[in-house]
Amino acid sequence: MDSIIKVDDFSFRYRDAKRCAVRHLDFEVPEGGFLCVVGPNGSGKSTLCNALVGLVPHHFNGKGRGSVRVLGQKVADQTIAQISCNVGFVFQNPFNQLSYTAGTVAEELAYGLGNHGVPRDEMVRRIEQIAGPLHLEGLLDRNPLELSGGQIQRVALGSTLIMNPRVLVLDECTTQLDPLGSEEIFDIVKKLNEDGMTVVMVDHDMERVARCADHVLALSRGNQVAFGTPEEVFGDPALEEHGVDIPDYVRISRTLEDEGLASGPVTLTEGACAERVGKALGR
Amino acid sequence: MKIEIKDLVHEYLPGMRALDGVNLTLDGTAPVAIIGQNGAGKTTLVKHFDGILRPTSGQVLLDGHDINERSCAQWSAHVGYVFQNPDNQLFLESVRHELEFGPRQLGVSEAAIAKRVERVAKLVGLSRKLDVNPADLTPAEKKFCAIGSVLTMKPEVVIFDEPTCGQDLAGNARLERIIRALRKSGRLCITISHDVKFVCKCFERVVVMCHGRVLVEGSVEEVFSQPELLKQSYVIPAPVTRVASAAGMNKVVFDVDSLIEGVKAERSS
Repeated sequence: MDSIIKVDDFSFRYRDAKRCAVRHLDFEVPEGGFLCVVGPNGSGKSTLCNALVGLVPHHFNGKGRGSVRVLGQKVADQTIAQISCNVGFVFQNPFNQLSYTAGTVAEELAYGLGNHGVPRDEMVRRIEQIAGPLHLEGLLDRNPLELSGGQIQRVALGSTLIMNPRVLVLDECTTQLDPLGSEEIFDIVKKLNEDGMTVVMVDHDMERVARCADHVLALSRGNQVAFGTPEEVFGDPALEEHGVDIPDYVRISRTLEDEGLASGPVTLTEGACAERVGKALGR
Repeated sequence: MKIEIKDLVHEYLPGMRALDGVNLTLDGTAPVAIIGQNGAGKTTLVKHFDGILRPTSGQVLLDGHDINERSCAQWSAHVGYVFQNPDNQLFLESVRHELEFGPRQLGVSEAAIAKRVERVAKLVGLSRKLDVNPADLTPAEKKFCAIGSVLTMKPEVVIFDEPTCGQDLAGNARLERIIRALRKSGRLCITISHDVKFVCKCFERVVVMCHGRVLVEGSVEEVFSQPELLKQSYVIPAPVTRVASAAGMNKVVFDVDSLIEGVKAERSS
């Protein structure tokens, strides 16, 4: 399968910064892939997201090396507007995503469509299409600034998804939501991925990462410390030395093995882990 | 400080109850976590503890004094509130000024303020960033700056609203140290959190809110051994707890070490 994202020995240092925010990043994501980016704060996750959508280097200036290509085009050679036709970005802080020009949630959702000259009938159709799964039907006439944090996060996601991007970049976009609300958003993203959308997601919930990603990129202090399938990345006992969290499912299976209670490859899901614990219990 | 909540109702708009008859007593220094789905009334409830919000009906008593007896500014000397979004809390040009602001409003001497700032900056991990503009901090550091600006006031009760939001492993470990330090110094820490792993690790008492009421409260063990009840408030037990339950373990566990101990105990019995 062709790579839709190709990051080739990419380094970037923000203007006035002493050290590079990311160094020698090198990986590819196939079309329809689901990449999760993990690592401690300050490891370069948001910089990478910004580089995928062109905010680095077009909005945040600095010095870069290597290249970031999305859909075969170098991000640095395109404008943010051109990139936004194919790549959607959901910010960590939903308040950074609002247009602050829309009086209602419906207008906020339609903002990007308006900029792309989409006809009104089509706008209405797409708003209706997106409002259902994001539970925004009852909020379409409300002022976005009067909503709760969780509701605004859903509006921010909706305003990105409504553009039907081929690549969706999510930077910790469920931090304001309760666990179920967060899972609902995640289920929507997972469904979009199954329907062919390429997803790059920064997430601190390692159990979710293990369950859903087909590839994991682990960063630490701007360096790429691991890249591979969840089994490969979380199976590496050295990962935690870089300050990267691991799923409890992995921790449990590894400890069971270390204690001589049950052996096997690391477990990545609740079911597999429960089965391993059951085995240790002799069941 | 003892916080007594009696039949507390709060309506943001007439007839729309965010709190619908809350009865609760919080006392002692054992840290308390308040959990529940978005819109359950968690933040509305704790905003009554320092007078940001006033009851529509019912009573909130702090050490026997009705919350309505004093202004929010007066209560802030006793109850510190760290907002979910630090941008709503930080407004000065340096971390140092943020940490100094509260105690200075309380009339604390400059020498004592300097000592408090030094100690708190160390605890929240910002000793080297005292002269940095809070706007230039990372989101996680901003949270710690907001926490620090409340801790320098030495309130008897400290309220954190979603402190783990955006924190990594190291940030969570620092929060754990702060909560331990608060307990050691005899202060009550009340925390709103969606992070069940964090709640199980750091808190002794858990209050679960649902539709403006207290659904259940008790020790971590008491609360998380009722997964069916918790579903009503969209609370999902921690991964370790779920794994142990799915594997048919007899004991309810909250961390990997307890799970392994439980496996060993059941194997030998």
